[in-house]
Amino acid sequence: MGTTRLNILPVPTFSKLGVNFVERDISKYEPQELVIAPPYENPVRADVTGSTDIKLTAPENSSLTVILYIKPDSKLMLDTFLSASAGSRVRLVQVFEGGGQTVSRLTSELGENASLELVQLYLRGEDTVSEIVTKLAGRGSAFSAEIGCRLSGSDKLDLNLIAEHTGRRTASEISLGSVLDGSAQKTFKGTIDFKNGCGGSKGSEHEDALLMSESVKNRTVPVILCDEEDVEGSHGATIGRLDEQHIFYLGSRGLSEEKIYELMSRGKLLRTINKINDGAVKQRIFDALGWEYDD
Amino acid sequence: MSELLKTDKLTVCAEGKELLHEASLTVGEGETHVLMGPNGAGKSTLGCTVMGSPEYSITGGRIFFDGEDITEETADKRARRGIFLSFQNPVEIPGITLSEFLRNAAEQLTGRRIKLFEHKKELAKAMAVLDMDPSYGDRELNVGFSGGEKKKAEILQLLMLKPRLAILDETDSGLDVDAVKTVSKGIEEYRRSVSGSLLIITHNAKILEELNVDKTHILSGGRIVREGSGALAAEVLESGFEKYIDGV
Amino acid sequence: MKQKTQVDDIDRSLYDFRFEENEGDFLDSGITPEIINEISDEKNDPDWMRQHRLRCLEVYRRTPMVSWGASVEGLDIDNIVTYIRPKTRMNTDWESVPDNIKETFERLGIPQAERESLAGVGAQYDSELVYHNVRKEVAESGVVYTDLEGAMHDPRYAEIIRSHFMKLVPPTDHKFAALHGAVWSGGSFVYVPKNVHLEIPLQSYFRLNAKGAGQFEHTLIILEENSYLHFIEGCSAPKYYEAGLHAGCVELYVGKGAALRYSTIENWSKNMYNLNTKRAIVQENGRIEWVSGSFGSHVSYLYPMSILNGRGASAEFTGITFAGEGQDLDTGAKIVHNAPDTSSYMNTKSISKSGGKSTFRSAVQVNENACGSKSSVSCESLMLDNISRSDTVPVIDVKTDKCDVGHEAKIGRISNEAIFYLTSRGLTEEEARAMIVRGFADNVSKELPLEYAVEMNNLIKLEMHGSIG
Repeated sequence: MGTTRLNILPVPTFSKLGVNFVERDISKYEPQELVIAPPYENPVRADVTGSTDIKLTAPENSSLTVILYIKPDSKLMLDTFLSASAGSRVRLVQVFEGGGQTVSRLTSELGENASLELVQLYLRGEDTVSEIVTKLAGRGSAFSAEIGCRLSGSDKLDLNLIAEHTGRRTASEISLGSVLDGSAQKTFKGTIDFKNGCGGSKGSEHEDALLMSESVKNRTVPVILCDEEDVEGSHGATIGRLDEQHIFYLGSRGLSEEKIYELMSRGKLLRTINKINDGAVKQRIFDALGWEYDD
Repeated sequence: MSELLKTDKLTVCAEGKELLHEASLTVGEGETHVLMGPNGAGKSTLGCTVMGSPEYSITGGRIFFDGEDITEETADKRARRGIFLSFQNPVEIPGITLSEFLRNAAEQLTGRRIKLFEHKKELAKAMAVLDMDPSYGDRELNVGFSGGEKKKAEILQLLMLKPRLAILDETDSGLDVDAVKTVSKGIEEYRRSVSGSLLIITHNAKILEELNVDKTHILSGGRIVREGSGALAAEVLESGFEKYIDGV
Repeated sequence: MKQKTQVDDIDRSLYDFRFEENEGDFLDSGITPEIINEISDEKNDPDWMRQHRLRCLEVYRRTPMVSWGASVEGLDIDNIVTYIRPKTRMNTDWESVPDNIKETFERLGIPQAERESLAGVGAQYDSELVYHNVRKEVAESGVVYTDLEGAMHDPRYAEIIRSHFMKLVPPTDHKFAALHGAVWSGGSFVYVPKNVHLEIPLQSYFRLNAKGAGQFEHTLIILEENSYLHFIEGCSAPKYYEAGLHAGCVELYVGKGAALRYSTIENWSKNMYNLNTKRAIVQENGRIEWVSGSFGSHVSYLYPMSILNGRGASAEFTGITFAGEGQDLDTGAKIVHNAPDTSSYMNTKSISKSGGKSTFRSAVQVNENACGSKSSVSCESLMLDNISRSDTVPVIDVKTDKCDVGHEAKIGRISNEAIFYLTSRGLTEEEARAMIVRGFADNVSKELPLEYAVEMNNLIKLEMHGSIG
């Protein structure tokens, strides 16, 4: 009985800001095990409704797509371990729909020239704590993350992403688009960590947060840790309402302000949704969002 | 010919400076008007103010469209009445594609749902008139477009949204010869299919060579200093403004 | 073959010099209430200040050490002698200052600065204000620039000081703020009346010149409505064997429509612990501009904080941090938007070299009541070799939707194309690198008065000096 520290920021900062970690009681989860290893259907599709430990192995030079639709019955904890062997190309899609307390931890290790393309979508959720740790250990490995989130009501999301570059010529590219409404609260911690020896590596991170009501709370902590000279790192964040000039331009074409916000927030989420090349999953997402699906 | 647009002694300020002083003009239905003047005369200000830009404050006068006072109306309301402004420097809007945007705008303006298939057909037709590569439809609105591409995209919107009054702000500036020809084609197509009114703002109008201009207004220092027929525009093109703005 | 820079230790002879230790009276190294009372006695503190010191000692004892940031393990605070008083009293005339003290300041260029139309110099020597000269023009304009301790006893200013002292940085803020509150000594008081614009910058030097002595000076600046002031703070200290500590405090009150520019070059010696707290509170339409160059000290914690407390208030922060061998510099800025239509702009750069570590930490907070606010932060870090470190940890905390917040950061090394271009125009590789780094630091140097910009460029030159291996 007691709480565990989760989503720990690799280099802590001013304590009063409350972003160094979160605490949750994760003692009562009893996860089922799910192993995804060859031979398997490609893509692998799974519905996750209760606590699960998933082990994913992509053998050398293989290509694997895994689509997980996570919709908790009540609370759930999901631990996903991915091992991408040399030369493998993995596409992992995780859609989180609604739910009570959700804790998700994704840890990936990438071998030489392996690549992981991660697509995550957070659609509502009372209290979601999600950590993504990617170890780019193999030389030439690459990681891209396209994350979208739509929160309203009193949803809460705490997201801690760490891209750890240890191998040479590794690359990470992280993009987060969020739309917050109601009294939603979101904290995004995105760390690009260049360890000594990862010469020739690049990391970039960008967040775009559209805030649509006065009671939202948005915290962004874009971190770059650098212990290696020969790297290129960058991050950017844009947070707030829509630009007045944009509203005028779109308004001059007949769109009301409400419609403009609807369109733009759709656009942000569509960026992520369109990376999911699966009609059935997209339909489910559109249904969850209450959008019409035409294609 | 009934009055479509009327500005009545319109005075406009921005950042503490007066940019337009008691500018009055009238554009009738189906007419083509030209607004000319040297740099900084206030031409763009007039166009943007008619469209309802938040950047400018109206400190005197009124604007009427179709006989109704629209001075206090928001931009989108004015658009729904049928006013369209082709911007001089259209802003880039990431997060929405050109095609998607046009479909939504058309739905708002007509008040009815437009099927995707129908929309794509119309879009392809309009793009063909303007020699635009269909892939532009899937690009984010104006993002990464060159100056010429942006202007073309504005004319594409003109064709798709079919307004009753089209205000074109320096649509030809910065374009090469071929691009000017294409934009002309677009304007001609608009006139043919919609028979709308045109208010063309320019200070260098190659575009006018193809059109029948009904009236010319010359703006200088925020004031309308001279009005005349289409011949006036031709004359200015030949010999410049100087004799019309002397003594101002 | 990749070129990586190798560097020698920095030539600091310009700054590393000290005198014999017959100077001053040394108090007991540990900190007890008895010591506090002794300090109060010496200074003839008014009762409220004595009580304040004792309360701060209480808080200091109760407060745990900061749990993040650079390690201050090497600092044994209870052995730091907190108060040293040099043998001279306050002077208004340069000539009557003792020779060795004069020499120190002459080497640091104060007389030159004095000659060049600077309004006045308050020079701190071992915890006391030694030399003070306020020019006639400044005095006539009604601007008060004097030592804080003296002003506390002056009936004209006692009340305003009492109502402002450590209200902006309370002792409960962190352990070293509490320590400061208990043992503070020396520092400046500046008061600019309504509508007064002082075109000439005021400047002040500090100096630490005895083994193990700590610097705890307090700067209190109050700008009334619609006034303007540029204040320059620059400091230096020689090298010691034992740890040196600087736990100063700067409180800036910017009134309605007033503007304050606070420039600093920090060049403490490489054994110093620089734990400084600087804070500004800005009222309606007021403005604070920080210009900050951090070069010296062994360990530093430096996060000037701006509280935008009135509609339309604005803050601008331009900074550069250069972390060389053996240095762990933790710097940044904090901005709180606590009123509508406020705006902030941060432009910081950092350079890491020879195993130095630079950490940029910032916090931009936009409160619920700050609608219409805008903030833009830009940080860029340059890595000069493979043994140094640079971390960027910014936090953006937004509590309203009606705002516009942007942030960007970049990290990398000097590009080979840039080196090639410059060397193809005749510069040696070393010269090329130094030029690029100077150019990199120009966000700050162009904001400083010329002689400071020159000093800063010299510092960079010294720091960059090394052979290419």
